[in-house]
Amino acid sequence: MITKWQNFRIPIREQRLYAGLLIALILLIGNVKAGVLVAPTVVFMDEHKRTGRITVQNPSDEPREVTIRMSFGLPTSDSLGNVFVNLQDSGITDIKAATSWVKPFPRKMLLQPGATQVVRFVARPPKNLVDGEYWARVVVTSQEGITSLPNPTGEGQISTVLNMIMQTAIMLKYRQGDQIAHVKLNSVDASHEDTLVSVIVDLSSTGNASYVGLMHCRLFNADKQEIGYRRFDLAVYHDLKRRVTFPVASYKSGSPYSFELYITPNGRKDIAAEYLIRGNEIEYSTIIP
Amino acid sequence: MRLNVMNRSVKIILFVALAAVLAVAPVVNSQDVATGSATATVLTALAVTSTAALVFGNVFQGVSATIANINAAAGVYSITGQASAVISIYMALPEFVALADGSDKMTISFSSTDASVDTLGGGVPTGMVATSGYQNIDPHNFPAASNIGSGGTTSIYLGGKIYPTIDQAAGAYTGDIVLTVAYTGT
Repeated sequence: MITKWQNFRIPIREQRLYAGLLIALILLIGNVKAGVLVAPTVVFMDEHKRTGRITVQNPSDEPREVTIRMSFGLPTSDSLGNVFVNLQDSGITDIKAATSWVKPFPRKMLLQPGATQVVRFVARPPKNLVDGEYWARVVVTSQEGITSLPNPTGEGQISTVLNMIMQTAIMLKYRQGDQIAHVKLNSVDASHEDTLVSVIVDLSSTGNASYVGLMHCRLFNADKQEIGYRRFDLAVYHDLKRRVTFPVASYKSGSPYSFELYITPNGRKDIAAEYLIRGNEIEYSTIIP
Repeated sequence: MRLNVMNRSVKIILFVALAAVLAVAPVVNSQDVATGSATATVLTALAVTSTAALVFGNVFQGVSATIANINAAAGVYSITGQASAVISIYMALPEFVALADGSDKMTISFSSTDASVDTLGGGVPTGMVATSGYQNIDPHNFPAASNIGSGGTTSIYLGGKIYPTIDQAAGAYTGDIVLTVAYTGT
C-alpha cells in the first residue's frame, strides 16, 4: 500500500514535548561528568516551515563547549547485514543531501552548568526542488569547557589523561511537496550453523521519502512453536540489509525452522504520529531447510 | 402543521446537540493543553556523556602501562536514549598523546579487546556482567547490533596501553577520544 503524505503540518506542541523529555532525561542520567542532552532525535522541516530546532542542555556541574555542524550519514549496511552510520563531512554526492543548504545557529556555544540552548536550523533549498525528502545529520559535539591537564605528582614524572569528547548525530529531514514512503523486499537469505540461525533481510526504498517503521522477525521450530522474536526500528533510505540472528539449542533438534517477517509503519513510539509518513506493509515467511 | 412541529423538534434537538458540543469542546481543548506534554508521544532524546576519563596516571620512562577495560581507571561513556534502540557507535582513537606545547609525543594503542559495551548501563567497569552486552571487543569496530539497554542506558568501557620511551620527556600528556553515536532506526 502506498500512502501519500498530504497536507503535512508541523504541530505546535513540539516545544512542550521536548521540554518534558529533557527533564525526564536529566532525572534519568543524574550527575554526569561531561556531555550534553540533545532533543529531539530527529528534526523535521518542510517547504512551509523552513526552520527547525533542537534543544541542547548541559546537565553537569561544569561548563561545556558545544559545537554544532552539519554532516551526512544514512543507515547503510554491508553484505553481511551489519547496519552502521558513517558520517561524511565533505564530498557528498547523494542528491538527497540537504547538508549544504541547512544551516545551524549558533554553531558554537559555551553552556554553563544547567544551561539550555536552543539551536535553530534554517533551510534555504535550491529552487525547483523535486518533491521528496532530503536529509542531513546534525552533529552535536561536546567536551569539557576547560580541559584540565593532568598534574604529575613528582618532578620528572610522566602523566596522561585522555579527553573524552562526545558526538551525537541526529537526523534532519526536509520535506518538499508530496511524500511517498515505500519499501520493497528484495530477498531473504537464511542460513544456519549448529546453534545459530541467521537471516539477512534485503530491502530497498522505492518512495521519495525514507521508510520508517518496525521490523518484526519470528523464528518457529518444526512444531510451529515460536522460539525467537526480534524487533527493530527500521529506517530505509536507499538500500539496506539487516541481519537477524536467533540462537538455538541445536539446529538439528528443531529443524526445519520457519522464519516470519513483518514490516509495518505502525508502532513507532519514538516519532510523533504527525511526522510519520505511513508506508506499506510487508509480510513474508520462508522455511529454512 | 404536524410537519412544522417535527421541524421545530428537530431544530430543538440540533440546537441542544450543538450547545452540548460547544460546551464540551472547550473542556477538551483545555485537557489537551493541560495534559499535552504528558499524553503526547515521547520523542526520545539521545545523550552521550563521559563519566570517567581513561587515566593512566603517572608512568615511568621506558615502562609501558596498560589499563584494562574492566579496570576502575578505564574510560567510561554512557549513552542514554530510547530503550533497546539499535545504535551505531564509532570511536576515533588517538595514536599518540602529546605535551601541551607539542614538544614530545607518546605512543598509545588500543587492542582488539580494549572495549566493552555494557547494556545494563551500570557505568562501573569492574562490575560488568559478561552476558549483558559485549565484553572485550575492538574499540575500532563496535558491533553493528549494539543497542541501548532495556533500562535506557548503555555504558562503554575503554582501556588502552601507552608506551613511554626511555627518553620520554617528563610532563603531562593529553589526547582526545571522540565517541560518535547515532540511531540506525530513524
